[in-house]
Amino acid sequence: MAALLLIALFLPLLGAVLPFASRQTAQRMALGVAVVVLALTVNLVARYPASTELTATVDGAWLSWTGADIRFSIALDGLSLWLFALTSLLMIVAVLVSWEAIKEQASLFYRLLLILETGMLGVFVAQDIILFYVFFEFTLIPLFFLIGIWGSDQRRYAAIKFFLFTLAGSVLTFLGLLSLVIWNYYASSSEPALRVMTFSIPELTESLQVAVLRGAGMSLALQVAIFVALFAGFAIKVPLFPFHTWLPLAHVEAPTAGSVVLAGVLLKVGTYGFLRFNLAMLPEATAALMPWLLWLALAGTLYGAFVALAQSDIKRLIAYSSVSHMGFCMLGLFALNRLSVQGGVLQMVNHGLATGGLFAVVGMLYERYHTRQIADLGGLARRLPVLSFFALVLTLSSIALPGLGGFVGEFLVLLGVFQRAWLSDGPDWLQLRTIAVVSVTAVVLGAWYMLWLYQRVFFGPLREPARKSDDPPVRDLGLREILCLTPLVVTLLWIGLQPQFFLDRIGATVDNLVKPSVRAMDSGGRSPVPISPVSDKSSSIPANL
Amino acid sequence: MTSASIQFLLPEILLLVAAVTIYLGGAFFNARRRWRWVAVIGLAMAALVLARQQPGVSADGAIAFDQLTFFGRWLGLGFGLLLILIAFRPLHLGGTPEYLGSLLLIVVGLMLVASAKDLVLLFLALELISIPTYIVLYLGRRDAASQESAAKYFFLSVLASAVLLYGFSFLYGTAGSTNLANIRLTLAGQVPAVAGLLPLGKLALVLVFAGLCFRIAAVPFHFYAPDVYQGTSQVNAALLSVIPKAAGLLAMVRLFDAILPGSDAYAWRTVLVIAVLTMTFGNVLALWQDDLRRLLAYSSIANAGYMLLALAVGLVSRDSMAGGTEWNALWFYLTVYALGTIGAFAVLEHLGRPGLRIDGVEELAGLARTRPAAAGVLAVCMFSLAGIPVLAGFWGKFLVFGGALYVQPAAAGGFQWWFVGAAVIGVLNAAIAAAYYLRIVGVMYFRAPLATPPAGGGYSPGAVGLVCALLLVVGGIFPQPLMSLTSGACPSGPKLSDVRPVAEAGEKRATTPACPMIRGGGEKRGTNGQLPAMPAT
Repeated sequence: MAALLLIALFLPLLGAVLPFASRQTAQRMALGVAVVVLALTVNLVARYPASTELTATVDGAWLSWTGADIRFSIALDGLSLWLFALTSLLMIVAVLVSWEAIKEQASLFYRLLLILETGMLGVFVAQDIILFYVFFEFTLIPLFFLIGIWGSDQRRYAAIKFFLFTLAGSVLTFLGLLSLVIWNYYASSSEPALRVMTFSIPELTESLQVAVLRGAGMSLALQVAIFVALFAGFAIKVPLFPFHTWLPLAHVEAPTAGSVVLAGVLLKVGTYGFLRFNLAMLPEATAALMPWLLWLALAGTLYGAFVALAQSDIKRLIAYSSVSHMGFCMLGLFALNRLSVQGGVLQMVNHGLATGGLFAVVGMLYERYHTRQIADLGGLARRLPVLSFFALVLTLSSIALPGLGGFVGEFLVLLGVFQRAWLSDGPDWLQLRTIAVVSVTAVVLGAWYMLWLYQRVFFGPLREPARKSDDPPVRDLGLREILCLTPLVVTLLWIGLQPQFFLDRIGATVDNLVKPSVRAMDSGGRSPVPISPVSDKSSSIPANL
Repeated sequence: MTSASIQFLLPEILLLVAAVTIYLGGAFFNARRRWRWVAVIGLAMAALVLARQQPGVSADGAIAFDQLTFFGRWLGLGFGLLLILIAFRPLHLGGTPEYLGSLLLIVVGLMLVASAKDLVLLFLALELISIPTYIVLYLGRRDAASQESAAKYFFLSVLASAVLLYGFSFLYGTAGSTNLANIRLTLAGQVPAVAGLLPLGKLALVLVFAGLCFRIAAVPFHFYAPDVYQGTSQVNAALLSVIPKAAGLLAMVRLFDAILPGSDAYAWRTVLVIAVLTMTFGNVLALWQDDLRRLLAYSSIANAGYMLLALAVGLVSRDSMAGGTEWNALWFYLTVYALGTIGAFAVLEHLGRPGLRIDGVEELAGLARTRPAAAGVLAVCMFSLAGIPVLAGFWGKFLVFGGALYVQPAAAGGFQWWFVGAAVIGVLNAAIAAAYYLRIVGVMYFRAPLATPPAGGGYSPGAVGLVCALLLVVGGIFPQPLMSLTSGACPSGPKLSDVRPVAEAGEKRATTPACPMIRGGGEKRGTNGQLPAMPAT
């Protein structure tokens, strides 16, 4: 398995440096690589044992000096697995939607796309802090070029704003990550000669927990400081309100493949980071800041939804819906409840599939009509029935219709948030319950703007923008486009109908990751009722749907 | 000077011979191409001799044979080779032999700075860099901008030398010796100082630091850099942004090692404040530049700030870091900075042609279409300077900022938060810096071409750029080899903690360097080699 993982990770990079020049060779090469990577990923998923152990570990020395050891260390666990799979699936979508759209400098485009794939896959499998950061930052370079070269009118501004915004946050994250390592180094032993500086993520997680159990844990003030440093980068990536201003611009200006990848995968890097580092390594700070974080996540959810309602550009609307959905995801993570965190993780995958797919649909509409204005379009269900069908399924998953992936995720998140609020008898019970109640409105608002969008564009009398005489006639989806959207819809159905398959593999790992934070919450006197029996019972609910 | 020293200095002597040959021969034979080869052969022979030498214990009071010396000498040879290759087909130079001879002398100067253990030799070595630099700046171009550039550099450089020398005079007055080992013993209280002069150590430290800050273009001694870079050629700008910087930092490490006793807390605080100011000024002012060389001048100022941060970290943790790794971050950063900067100037030189110099950022518009290879190399250099993984520049930033967070509370006397603060300011600066580096990349890749740059600078600068870019990529993916070059580079000698002030030092005024303490420390490092720094993985 380890070899499979290593090949899946570096095959795209290898494909990117092979010499090919013509557009067609580049396309086929990129598609071939993406398909092989997906096949390897399917193999990895099929053979993944649902346990807390890391599987498919590859480990080698990278950079070391006295007492410190940075390793090239990759492995899969339940959290990595699905995000890794999401990335390799969306990459096929990204290649297929670019097939006709990218004509200029096509070979450079596909090279960058493949480099980006390695970067994104690497973020999710890295088990060494520095390796994680290297992949995390490295994804900026190909995306910067993808937006800046093949984007629409404001692409230069969008590319630079995207890069600088993300970089400004992630350099602070970098300091935060280093602080964790260095604190652990000094705490590892009182004898300087025996200290070890480990950069390994599992070892750090374990060692920080052991320190807490020994009664020598990090002070709350330091935890909060490091939390804030990590937050800077991850919150911008997610993006949490009010750090989201780069997102609509970058999504709208990016080429379709860029938007698919950005919304589908790169936003998840932020939530992944929160779960992997903040929740797992800084439990007391997470517990102490929980109400604030929930308010922030809720504000983003509602703000994104309201702004989405007001949009006249389809792509902008979907971009703001991302802000809203990712806020919901964060709500799940920060509620620090087994169910809500599992729901949040599942929601990452759902959002990646549904929103990635919607961006692909917008790209297909744009290729046909050269407009993204809602006002220019109407009644397309009659003209483009197949496209409308796919758009409908993706929209319905996005608004959490039962039977599709979105429902399972949102339901678990809400269940967990309510459980957290009503089981809490701490001093902040009132605000937790307020948050829980208000968060339901996000689901309603989501349905409102998405269905309204669908109604305006696909129903009613046929309305198409004026066409020039030499434009080709508008055709419904071709085989390539159907192939591009089908895997997304099938996977969403699969998640919706058999969520237990996914939750089984997520569960063990995620429980392990949030355990410190949940323990910190409970010991803080906020939630004296043990959570596990209740959640064990309720976690079987989605399976029986 | 003993015969051992002469043998030790053979690489420098060979380069001097080459330089003099070029100077003299150039007056009689105007065969430009041949003189270039003489210079390259001189460098190659010096490298061959240097490769056969081993770090050891110096028997001579003026010359150090330690790891730092060797690192500095290799750095000098490397810089020299890259710069000569960039200048292989000079764009604007009138007298090629004079230019090449001066360049070789500058390399010798840098190598001597790395070896000097005596105030007089150190000062002479620094001047051996400065004086040929004046010539190099003045050669060739006769327009007002280049004259202004040369004159400005000359006057300010002379002033800086004077300040440095003033600082040296206090050290000499206090210790009664120009030898750094003796000065160190005096300031540490092991040898009695001239009555009442010991407090002057701090004054000397400030003056020495100020004089050297000019060389590395640190705030507030940075004002000359943008004007001088703008008015001169790409090669000279490359030279100014790496060689005086390397020399200044080598001299600082060597001098601070000697003059710290009694004022170490004072020293790192001074350096830290200057570091923060320098990186912030440099980066913020670079945002508004439209001239490439002015922009890179501010970039070199900002990078001096990061290196000063590494210096402050090294100063404060000299006693706590294992096996001489305290200067690792500084030298690693210097090396990757130099590769990025030399690579960038090499590409600019390659893109111009005789009589046409690439000046403005706008002139690079659409370079990715017109000259894709050059654009790629320049982009790699810019991303590396911005510290984006997985290029070597990232590891430089990692070591500098990681080092700042690593400072032990005990070493900093409870002031380790200063370093945390400096690290936070530093990383935010790195984000600001990305803005102007990206601007260059953006212009090259996202804009439509205005005019195709002639690319008449020849293959040799292009090759230098390519080599630098490759080193940055390979060094980023496999940083271990570069790290093993830089991690052992520190002055030999006992740690400060071993040189505790002793009251009854008596009449043992050490006039010879064969001081047992220094000798012992040197031997220890000599036998261990790099081992303490680099355990096998």
